[in-house]
Amino acid sequence: MRASRALFALALVALTSTAALAETSYPLTVDNCGVSVSFAAAPKRVVTIKSSTTEMLLALGLADRIVGVGFQDDPAPEPWTATAAGLPVLADKVPSQEVVLEAEPDLVYGGWESNFAADGAGERQSLMDLGVASYVAPAACRSIKPAKLTFDGVFAEIAEIGTIFDASAAADTLIAEQRTALGGVTADTRGLTAVWYSSGTKAPYVGAGSNAPAMIMEALGLTNIFADVDDGWFASSWEAIVDANPDVIVLVDAAWNSAAQKKKLLAENPVTSKLDAVVNQRYLVVPFPASEAGVRNVPATVDMAAQLAALTFTP
Amino acid sequence: MSLNRGPQRALNGALWALLALSLVLAVTLGPADIAATEVWQTIAHHLGLPGEVPVTRLRDAIIWDLRLPRVLVAAGIGAGLALCGAIMQALTRNPLADPYLLGLSSGAALGAVVFLLIGAALLMPLGAFAGAGAAMALTLLITRLLGGATPSRAILSGIAISALMSAATSFLIFWSATGDSYREILSWLMGSLSGSGWADAGVVLAAVLVLGVPMLFAGRALDAFAFGDAAAATLGVDVVRLRWLLLGATALLTGSLVAVGGAIGFVGLIVPHVVRLATGSRHRVMLPVAMLVGASFMVWTDTAARSLFAPRELPVGIITALLGAPIFLLVLLRYRRVT
Repeated sequence: MRASRALFALALVALTSTAALAETSYPLTVDNCGVSVSFAAAPKRVVTIKSSTTEMLLALGLADRIVGVGFQDDPAPEPWTATAAGLPVLADKVPSQEVVLEAEPDLVYGGWESNFAADGAGERQSLMDLGVASYVAPAACRSIKPAKLTFDGVFAEIAEIGTIFDASAAADTLIAEQRTALGGVTADTRGLTAVWYSSGTKAPYVGAGSNAPAMIMEALGLTNIFADVDDGWFASSWEAIVDANPDVIVLVDAAWNSAAQKKKLLAENPVTSKLDAVVNQRYLVVPFPASEAGVRNVPATVDMAAQLAALTFTP
Repeated sequence: MSLNRGPQRALNGALWALLALSLVLAVTLGPADIAATEVWQTIAHHLGLPGEVPVTRLRDAIIWDLRLPRVLVAAGIGAGLALCGAIMQALTRNPLADPYLLGLSSGAALGAVVFLLIGAALLMPLGAFAGAGAAMALTLLITRLLGGATPSRAILSGIAISALMSAATSFLIFWSATGDSYREILSWLMGSLSGSGWADAGVVLAAVLVLGVPMLFAGRALDAFAFGDAAAATLGVDVVRLRWLLLGATALLTGSLVAVGGAIGFVGLIVPHVVRLATGSRHRVMLPVAMLVGASFMVWTDTAARSLFAPRELPVGIITALLGAPIFLLVLLRYRRVT
């Protein structure tokens, strides 16, 4: 696997002229979620918060740079499971600033901007004052509203992380692989509607129109019933969902709120049990870490496309 | 200033009509765009009246399983909170008393969260009652330790107890919440009727009927309380027994309401004050009016919570606080000599 990936990278270097620029020159400054972040050299000691950021580095072969992880949503999937299991866990939830600093990181890479709060890993400015760089997954930026997420946006994060770590070759390889995989996904043409059910029981927390849920549903050819809501996710109401009666329900499978729990809830609630998708068990399941912007969006889309193709609809 | 029997009947009749109209209109509003006549026909069909169901299976579920129980829950909670507030204001001779300000709601929320976290969601009303009762006992005890019941002492004790209970609740959530389960608990703590079903409507309406309605008969005795315990005793009121009975019933009722709707603030405080402007302060007259006004008030604030930003839901407690906090300030100013 690694050998073939390296060969592929070599082929890319040979084929593309831009690859000649792949080596990053430091000092490097990137604009990240309204903060200008400078790197004197490629980060060597990184704390990752959330699964999406850990998996980004694992996918780029940068596991040896991780000195601590926090707030991991789920165990990492293959082929990273064993590597990820060996990473030092700083905290089950968001590690506090002191715990983060104890790991002596030169970069804290957070999946949510809110990870960088005074009662979390520390505010970005205060980390910077201590010489610790910080980087927020761009799709999760809240202080500056990010553009509607696209796969190109996801690839841009991969490319930027590649640049920061002087690993552009690996990033380019990964992006090329993901582009190919995504190219193999054909959008469903049956004109189906869907809701992305993330969590919640009384006020369902659902995917809205501008983040990873919307991006993945679009690629699958599903019409998101909440596409008009300009947000990533939001707390909706059962009435709005029942009113739209989506053809398909996407269930986010998290350790703390599994797809099975959601199926049970939908079947037992007197209102949702009448939804066409529930009556006919038309569900797509996506692992929680793949539902936030990152390297798992494309594999998840490929997997969900297969699930969707297997669903039958009798007119 | 007090109403005679004739105008009093007319006022009650008008308020019953207002409540009925509020319920009838509120069920026609919501994120789903369903014609009013279809809503009423559907409900009529479920009530056994002749006629066809004019809507699809799903719209039928929206009307009968989502909207109707929810407006009934709202009406019951509004009536119950207004009554609890009025009773507490009389019992503690404190114009600023209300289940929220005296810490009962926070206590009830703590009790409910404990039961929620140990997985006994069905017993949440019991936990909420225990929490409300404990919070009330603590608030009254501290008020007494401070040297006797004045409104400001009671409010200060209430704030302290409320802060303690809220901190304990926050700690429990911090310590135990997995994933984003805190999101829904926080929304409920702010006061939210999202997802209320028939079971919730049953709890709320039963509590209001079984606990609230009998309290209405205490109106005359509460009027006697207004002159002080000694005066009430000479008027033939068993002061100690009645006070405990009413305090217990108030805690039980608050617990049931909080278990369903969370800590909805200010309804119990402002509704009795607004009502007193029209009815005077005689409880026999004021209590039923407060219940009716509270019911209509909650029906409309909750309708706003679920419709204004559709398809988003807003916790209704935010709306009641936005409306209630300024009125609370007016009440404070009005009673500035007593506090």
